[in-house]
Amino acid sequence: MVQLRQFKFTLPIDSVLTVLLRTVLWGTVLWGTVLWRTAGVMGADALPAVNERFGGEASHEVPDFQRHVSPLLGHLGCNGRSCHGSFQGQGGLRLSLFGYDFDMDHKGLTGSSSDGSHRLDRDQPDQSLVLQKPLSQVDHEGGQRFAEGSWEHQLLRNWIQSGAAGVAAPQKLAQLQVQPAEILFAPQQAPVQLQVIAVWQNGDREDVTPLCRFRSNDDSVAQVDAEGLVQSTGAGDSHIVVFYDNGVEAIPVLRPFNRTTELADTAPPAAHGQRHDIDRFIDEKLRKLNLLPSATCSDTEFLRRVSLDLTGTLPTPDEIEEFLADAASDKRLRKIDELLARPAYAAWWANKLCDFTGCNPSQQAELGQETSVQWYGWMHERLRENIPYDELVSRIVLASSRAAGQSYDDYAAEMSSYFREDSPADFARRQTMPHYWTRRSMQKPEDASQAFAHNFLGLRLQCAQCHKHPFAPWTQQDFQEFSKFFEGMKFGVPEDSRARYRELARQVGLNVRDDDGNNISREVLKQARGGRTIPWRELYFDLQDDSRSLNLLQSGKVALHPNQDPREPIMAWMSDPKNPWFARAFVNRVWAAYFHRGLIEPADDLNPANPPSHPELLDWLAAEFIARQMDMKWLHRTITASDAYQRSWIPNQTNRDDRRNYSRMIPRRMPAEVVYDSVKQALAANDQSEQVRTDLSRRAIGHLSMRLAGTYAMQVFGKPDRAVNCDCERVNQPSLLQAIFLQNDPLMDDRLAGSGWLEFLQQQQTSAALPDHETLVRQAWLRTLSRLPTADELSRAKKQFTAAESTVEGLRDLLWALLNTKEFVLIK
Amino acid sequence: MNITRRSMLQTSAVQVGALGTTLSLSQYLRAQEATGQADSGRSAILVFLGGGPAHQDTFDMKPAAPAEYRGQFSPVRTSVPGMEICEHMPKLARRAEHYTIIRGLTHTLADHGLGTRYLMTGNLPTPVVNYPMYGSLVSKEMPAEKDLPSFVSIDRPVEGPGYLGSEYGPLSTGEKPRFGQPFRVRGITLDDTISIAKYQQRASLKDDLDNAFRGYESLDDSVRGLDRFSQQAYRIISSPRARNAFDLTGESDREMDRFGRHEFGQSALLATRLIEAGVRFVTVLMEGWDTHQDNFNTLGRNLLPNFDQSFSAMLDRLDAAGRLASTAVLVTGEFGRTPKVNGNAGRDHWARAMCALMAGGSVQGGQVVGATDDKAEGPQDTGYSPDDLAATFLSNIGIDPKQEYQANVGRPITVIRNGKPIPKVLNS
Repeated sequence: MVQLRQFKFTLPIDSVLTVLLRTVLWGTVLWGTVLWRTAGVMGADALPAVNERFGGEASHEVPDFQRHVSPLLGHLGCNGRSCHGSFQGQGGLRLSLFGYDFDMDHKGLTGSSSDGSHRLDRDQPDQSLVLQKPLSQVDHEGGQRFAEGSWEHQLLRNWIQSGAAGVAAPQKLAQLQVQPAEILFAPQQAPVQLQVIAVWQNGDREDVTPLCRFRSNDDSVAQVDAEGLVQSTGAGDSHIVVFYDNGVEAIPVLRPFNRTTELADTAPPAAHGQRHDIDRFIDEKLRKLNLLPSATCSDTEFLRRVSLDLTGTLPTPDEIEEFLADAASDKRLRKIDELLARPAYAAWWANKLCDFTGCNPSQQAELGQETSVQWYGWMHERLRENIPYDELVSRIVLASSRAAGQSYDDYAAEMSSYFREDSPADFARRQTMPHYWTRRSMQKPEDASQAFAHNFLGLRLQCAQCHKHPFAPWTQQDFQEFSKFFEGMKFGVPEDSRARYRELARQVGLNVRDDDGNNISREVLKQARGGRTIPWRELYFDLQDDSRSLNLLQSGKVALHPNQDPREPIMAWMSDPKNPWFARAFVNRVWAAYFHRGLIEPADDLNPANPPSHPELLDWLAAEFIARQMDMKWLHRTITASDAYQRSWIPNQTNRDDRRNYSRMIPRRMPAEVVYDSVKQALAANDQSEQVRTDLSRRAIGHLSMRLAGTYAMQVFGKPDRAVNCDCERVNQPSLLQAIFLQNDPLMDDRLAGSGWLEFLQQQQTSAALPDHETLVRQAWLRTLSRLPTADELSRAKKQFTAAESTVEGLRDLLWALLNTKEFVLIK
Repeated sequence: MNITRRSMLQTSAVQVGALGTTLSLSQYLRAQEATGQADSGRSAILVFLGGGPAHQDTFDMKPAAPAEYRGQFSPVRTSVPGMEICEHMPKLARRAEHYTIIRGLTHTLADHGLGTRYLMTGNLPTPVVNYPMYGSLVSKEMPAEKDLPSFVSIDRPVEGPGYLGSEYGPLSTGEKPRFGQPFRVRGITLDDTISIAKYQQRASLKDDLDNAFRGYESLDDSVRGLDRFSQQAYRIISSPRARNAFDLTGESDREMDRFGRHEFGQSALLATRLIEAGVRFVTVLMEGWDTHQDNFNTLGRNLLPNFDQSFSAMLDRLDAAGRLASTAVLVTGEFGRTPKVNGNAGRDHWARAMCALMAGGSVQGGQVVGATDDKAEGPQDTGYSPDDLAATFLSNIGIDPKQEYQANVGRPITVIRNGKPIPKVLNS
């Protein structure tokens, strides 16, 4: 039977002949299908497939609009973006994009066409445009969608004949069951047909395979046709995604890279002692795919990699030599702990958390530069303290301008005190950080809900603002309800502070036109610097005085009480261990910072159609993270201690083509801030090196991070503006301008010309105290590439000195060359 | 559709062709090497009049309006009957057949930042999408030859590459050329202490030492990309072609005088040279138009005569070399200025009415398209939006404004979502 189905699906799709043939073939396979279904566990009690139920003249079953008609329109592509799903409609008929707006679609189908005639004729169904168009009996830009007498035709005809009912109350789809649950192809194995059972909340089960939409997440691994037949196209692993109603189900599809299973039976070399938890999951999948992982990376590679990833900082020459000399087997673990204890860890990861939360000077409603610097500094302090991640988030999410019970005058004095020139107060010590909410980009509830979902849940709700999300189950209504949580948040002057605000404004000469107050001008800020209290606007709520019950993205309802801060139930929902996204989104983002991809990739696109490459690993990481009170350092330590993280980038004969399974390290370009700091550090004088590394106030990864935002170097190397809800705003791809920058930018010239190390050597040169060439070359390598040169490299580098006018100039050339190697700018 | 489509811009994959087929960076580079890029063969110059020029004192004069509206200038006739412009641009008046004036442009963002972003991207700014500047679109769709940058900004970028990613950002010169002074272009000009020979020697040392990935150069996109861009950077920095294009010292005294020895003249000359060399998109920033005070002296004595001289010279030179037909030119600011002269003899921000100039490519010169009301307060009829202006400009370059990208916001984005080319501006 399976063979017959395969034959059927290999036919071309478009011709009428084929459609007729298909119909005939469906007839022949039908009986076999029924037999098989009856025998199968899953399909046993399900209603037969819709093409059987509605196919043939004899069928008089009445289709349901939600269960059958609407999905059929999706399956046939009618409500796609380039057809009637377009916001302008097509040929006068507009359907909701990707369906699920049943009222709109029903109205569209039962309404009138542009020439005034009805699209649908209940008395003479065959006269309906709804049938004539897709049958191509009348002119239809979309061409013929189904053949005369086909089950699709019959289904629509039966619906019209029975009165073309719409949807009174939507039914809830409980589950979409797909068989097989996973497809493991051996090379050249025959195609596999998927079967999809819709399970409705009332207990109904029906085979809806012919009504589904199917998609392959990677065509180079597997392709799927419109009827759900999956064909292997290459080695690797991906997913086939099935869409029906608002259900989305993804089926893993794998094909091993290598034929010889002996390869995979060879246990991968363990870097240290016992198997790491992470590696249990990784190894299991490697075995499935017959992949042998690459060897463990060298000590110098590890040190450079882990220093850059954990602290955004290159190791120093001394540190490298010390690490190489250390013979203890636990030295990598000790190094990880040492790095986690350094201030640079907090500096770099505060910067990353500012990425995730959208700290952007140009979006601030007040004093953009200053508030974004405060934001960074506050984040840095929390990371230094290593407070639990959920606590960190709640101190942002539940932030208010004024502490409980604080008077307006005290608030204004507090805010002003952060700007006082004479011993300013430290914003970073504030309990909460309200700048997240006071951005201009958070003023509309719809924008705020999108940003919030992206920042803390890794969800992209954008699509659902205008139509049903094409990949996730969210509908427009889900989006609207979620957005309601963000209504009523205001930035300005609440009524009870207006008098005091105006009085302060008058004292400092700030012009105030309306009740909402005004921007703090440079002139006024100057007075705060001088120690005066200036008027500050604040975050406040126009609280709703009614109760309501709101749905949180289909994962629970919350009752909102009168005058309750709506952010409280959201935060409670997020920090509930059962929340499906909060912890996962964070562990996945952190994972993505240590590898070339997230377990879910893109890392900020958690949706059922974009499943993780290693679901059990992600579940385990999230669960353990929660169990350890969301200790961020635990997470960093656990990931960097794994074999998966400590692999060499050099492939073996089995894993050249693997990019999803961590069988080797994929080289990544240093982030913008790290490039900037690394160049500086590589060229600094020995006695300044420590200061260059640890004076975070002058580091691009540190407190300079916000001041450097938008500068040329940061733009060229892809530091994100944090203006849109996408982690991809940080670009780590190479570009032409980066190469031009590193080779010849005035900033690079200045750095090389002003190199403290070379200046120091210049002085020694005159006093003839210069170390020999070999020592200098070794130093140059350690400073830039964090390793010692090979013998060949050493001899090539030494040759440069003979061509140069002096040793120092030769060394300058050498440093230029090393800073321009791929090895410098890559984390490998 | 598949993994490459969704992760499109993050992985720097590149979209080609109308069907939106996507390729990884390495596939794209190979394809590009094999076939070369199909493009319209056009290039473009955008002159941005930063600050917002007063439309009613330049190309949309209202001599019949009351004195407090019409200001101090008078219109003059041009070489095209019925077409009049401000008296302080006599050279452009004699060349009216080369350009089209677009009047009745209108929008609502009377803020420099937002207005600039709107005019330079053709999409209403939103907090959720960063739209790319026109030059970035050109960089992506029609890159220049390998030893030249595709997109150059004199002196700083007016807007960024947005969702296309930093790879498509402009090479900014960092400074404006000044007559009689050595001009250093950020990243292109070698420092005085470094000769070409020294640079080449360094580069060859680098090639010898760049060993780590030997044998695996084609394995990973990041490694391939670094190699390719490093070679291209070397070609640009060491090639006489790029250096010559940026070097104004080869221009004759006569040419210097024709363009003008002032800053804008030198910038316009540089832009013209870059286009002649094969750069695809050049922006020239001319600032000072934010005339809240002393509007008439600023314009009449300085900005308009300079603009008149240099822009005329640019048109003449492009035309004489037969390049005007392949170079789309747009002149615009971010908005117009208030209809009524204020108490400081200035005019303030006004977005309801503004104007722009277009020339070159398929532009049907010698005409005025669109109109404002009798006090230049707003458009007659509905007017044209910045989106329409953008759609016209991109069409003139040979980029379909309705083209779509899989951008980094998780949905397909139309290049110019709402605009349609303004009728009659372009020859069909």
